[in-house]
Amino acid sequence: MTQTIEASFLTKTYQVSEREGGFAAAVGGFFKRKFKDVHAVQGVSFKIEPGEVVGFLGPNGAGKTTTLKMLSGLLHPTSGQARVLGFTPWERKHDYLRAMTLVMGQRSRLSWDIPAADSFLLNQAIYRLEDAQFKQTLKELDDLLELSPLMKKPVRNLSLGERMKVELAAGLLHRPRVLFLDEPTIGLDITAQAHIREFLKEYNRRTGATVLLTSHYMADVTALCERVILIHHGRLKYDGSLNDLSHRIAPFKLIGVALGSPCPCDLSLYGTPVASDGDDEEQAGSKQYVQVPAAQAAAITARMLADLPIHDLTIEDPPIEDVIERAFAE
Amino acid sequence: MSLLNIYLRFWQVNWAEQWQYRANLLMYLFYWLVSPVVYLSVWVSIANSQGSVRGLTANDFITYYLTLLIVDQLTSEITIHLIAYNIQDGTLAGELLRPVHPIFTRAVIDNLAFKALNLMAFVPIWAVLFGLFRPDYAGVTPGSVLLALPAVVLGFALNFLMGATVTCMAFWTTRVYSVSQFINLVVILLSGQFVPLQLMPPIVQQTAQFLPFQMLRYVPIEIILNRLPLQDVWVDYAVSLAWLVILFFIFRRAWAEGTKHFSSVGA
Repeated sequence: MTQTIEASFLTKTYQVSEREGGFAAAVGGFFKRKFKDVHAVQGVSFKIEPGEVVGFLGPNGAGKTTTLKMLSGLLHPTSGQARVLGFTPWERKHDYLRAMTLVMGQRSRLSWDIPAADSFLLNQAIYRLEDAQFKQTLKELDDLLELSPLMKKPVRNLSLGERMKVELAAGLLHRPRVLFLDEPTIGLDITAQAHIREFLKEYNRRTGATVLLTSHYMADVTALCERVILIHHGRLKYDGSLNDLSHRIAPFKLIGVALGSPCPCDLSLYGTPVASDGDDEEQAGSKQYVQVPAAQAAAITARMLADLPIHDLTIEDPPIEDVIERAFAE
Repeated sequence: MSLLNIYLRFWQVNWAEQWQYRANLLMYLFYWLVSPVVYLSVWVSIANSQGSVRGLTANDFITYYLTLLIVDQLTSEITIHLIAYNIQDGTLAGELLRPVHPIFTRAVIDNLAFKALNLMAFVPIWAVLFGLFRPDYAGVTPGSVLLALPAVVLGFALNFLMGATVTCMAFWTTRVYSVSQFINLVVILLSGQFVPLQLMPPIVQQTAQFLPFQMLRYVPIEIILNRLPLQDVWVDYAVSLAWLVILFFIFRRAWAEGTKHFSSVGA
């Protein structure tokens, strides 16, 4: 089977005007404007198979959204090629637009003044969906996202999390085969994030849709994506599985120990002591962590068990945030 | 599921939205009524004091301006107000990813739906003006009204394409409203909105005959009032149809270039 998404040497350079502050510069800029090239995306290539869910990661300004916009058809690249479902995205052929969706967490595509139900009906007409199919999809989306209580309120009266749900539903009513999601969980509380994540997982399982998503929340990525593409300063840094990334970038394990009785033990004899994970505050007080090379984790653990009055012991992979941070710092 | 269904849904959405801003709608209507009614009052008093102005009697002015109010209502368009800010704030992006043309679906329907809502408030106002000025519409026949219908449709189509093309300039400049104001001035002078074209200097009248603007107001009004020889009507129709084709291609080019520019600077 051919790739659903194929980007080859995609490049996007923006020309932005710039000038110093102040009146003289403003007058000067009127006669002669200075432009600076901003290389948002530089020769990015990758292929995505049908049904894959891929996390597209990078710090702010890395070029994630620009790439997503090129692949969805919103932006013309400066150079390079892309094919999505066999179409050149930026030609914006109607058959292509009917087969994909771009949902941006920071930008609403629904009319704010009217209830989402009205916008859904408009989408039904625009995407030429038969009544039966429309109702069936809406019911499925309702089951997954619990839309019913939200459909009748004007969109402006919905909370951020509620709005994201109806945004997603509006973007999926036509059952797109390719989903481009730009930070679909941004600004949402933990529960809402988990909800959206669960939904996306289930949607992918049910429909086999291909998903390329960006997110700053690693929980999104670990929950949904086996494969990640890392982009930094517009260039591809890594393309592969999350596990491999961990092994390659951070080939170490964290051994956490809770000591049975207070002891003046020197954990640095076994590895590099590290600050405990802040998320787990309850344990943070009692557990101490050492970082050890992955290959020696078993041997060191055995030594620690023999030497120390250990009450509890865990062997963990380093937090994915740390791995990603290291990857970008390289 | 047909195109008609798409139009119908856009219409429903538009009315649902407009209903939230009904005060705005009324204010727009009153603003729009002021100048024709002022022109009407001025010309009627001049004609009354002089007997006639270049052969036009007070009743000619009254019938002209009262008909103008109807024709203007039908041929006017507001595309720039519907689309330009979507281009400037980037929200057009979402529409570009839908499998329908934003101008030939949403913009057309929003124009028509706005017109329809306006008409509801406009009809009683027009009736009041009719009562105040008591026009003599003796020249108007069912045939003349029927003959004017295509002119009104053509006038709206021409005006819409012009408005849509000017709106495309928003892809390059944020000052698109001043361009629109300037074109509006040309339209007011050459369409017969300010004064009936026969009161303009001959050179302006002759030039106007070859331009699309007179179909926006003057030609439909004169056809309704039965004051245009049939031969002239056909010529005006032919000129306007030619302009319709020309404007369509100009708009299409402007839209293609504009959306390409929009996509190159960062939608």
